[in-house]
Amino acid sequence: MSSALWIAVLASAVGTLLMRVLPLLWMQRRLERLGDDDGLEAMPQWLSLLGPVMIAAVFGVSLMPVTPGLLSWIATAIGVLATLAVWWVKRTLGWPVAAGVAAYGAVVMLTALVGPLP
Amino acid sequence: MNLDAVTSPGRPWLTGMREAIPLLGGYVPVAISFGLIATQAGFTPWEAVVISTLVYAGASQFLFVGMVAAGAPLWLVVAMTLLINLRHVVYAPNLAPWLTPSRAWPWLMHGLTDQVFALAHARLPELPAAQRLGWFGGAALLAWASWVGGTALGALAGGELVARWALMGEILPFALPALFLVLVAPRFTSRRWALALSLTILVALALTILGFTNLAIPLAAACGALCFQVVKFGPARQEHAKGDRHE
Repeated sequence: MSSALWIAVLASAVGTLLMRVLPLLWMQRRLERLGDDDGLEAMPQWLSLLGPVMIAAVFGVSLMPVTPGLLSWIATAIGVLATLAVWWVKRTLGWPVAAGVAAYGAVVMLTALVGPLP
Repeated sequence: MNLDAVTSPGRPWLTGMREAIPLLGGYVPVAISFGLIATQAGFTPWEAVVISTLVYAGASQFLFVGMVAAGAPLWLVVAMTLLINLRHVVYAPNLAPWLTPSRAWPWLMHGLTDQVFALAHARLPELPAAQRLGWFGGAALLAWASWVGGTALGALAGGELVARWALMGEILPFALPALFLVLVAPRFTSRRWALALSLTILVALALTILGFTNLAIPLAAACGALCFQVVKFGPARQEHAKGDRHE
C-alpha cells in the first residue's frame, strides 16, 4: 500500500472517530452547562427523537436478506414472526433472537433440501 | 426491557460481552466478506486487518476498497467514506445522559457502530451507573474483536470458508434484524410512535431494496422523525417525545 493510501486510511479512520467523539463532547458540555439534574431534559427534543428512529432504520436495512429472493423473503417474514412471538411471551433479549435465527435457518435449510421453487 | 443475562455487579464487562453475542451473527460473516473482497481488490491481509481495526465502519470500508480498486481519486475516497459515516454524529449524544464521568468514554466511542448504539441505547438506561462503563467496554470490545478477527479470517481463508459454509453465511446474519426487532419493539408505546417507527422501517427497507443502502438509515430516520412531529392523534392522546423517551 502506498504512502498516499495509508494517509487515506488514516484520514478516514480519524474522521470517523471524530464523528463519533466530538458530538459526545458537545453533549457532555451541554449537560454540564444546563446542570445534570435530569440529563434527558437537557437533550434537544430532535436528538432524543432520532435515537429510536435510527434504531428502526437500522432494523429496516438489516431486513434485506443476504440472497434476496421469494424464499429468503418468506424466511425473513417467518423469522420476524418467530422473534416477535417469543419476545411477546418472554420480554427478553436472547431467546427471541435465538428463536428468530432458528426459524429463519429452518426455512432456509428446508428450502435447500427440497430445492428451489418452480 | 428485562434481559436474559443477569447483570453481575463485579463483572459488568462480561455481561456486556454476553449481550453483544447476537451481534456476532451479523458481524463475522460480513467481516469475512470484507476480508475476502479487500484481498481480491489488491490489499494484503495485513492491510485489510488494519483498515478494519482503524476505520471500523462496515459499509464505508467496502466503499473504500471498492473505490481504491476502481482507481478513484483518494480525496474522493476519503470524502465518500466520511459521508457514509456521517450518521454516527447523532449516536453518542443520545447516550450521553447515561454516561458516567470517565476519560475512557471518548476512546470507547471508536466502538460505537450502528449495532452497538442500538444495543447500548436500550441497555445503558437499565444498568446501575457503576456498571455502564464496564458493560459498554465489554460489548464494544467483543464486537470490534469479532469484526477484526472476521476480516483476518476472510482475508486469509475467505474463499474456502464461503465455499464450505455458504448456508451458514446466509443464516447467521439474521441475528442482526432479530436483535434490532427486539430493541425496537418496546418502543411501540403509542399510535404516534408506532406510525413513525413503522414508516421508518418501511422506508429503510424500500431504499435498501432499491440499492440506496448507504442513504437508507439517515433518510428513513429523517422521514420517521418528520412523521412523529407532523402526525398527532388529537389533544387527548398527544404524546411528547420528551415523555416517551423515558420508556
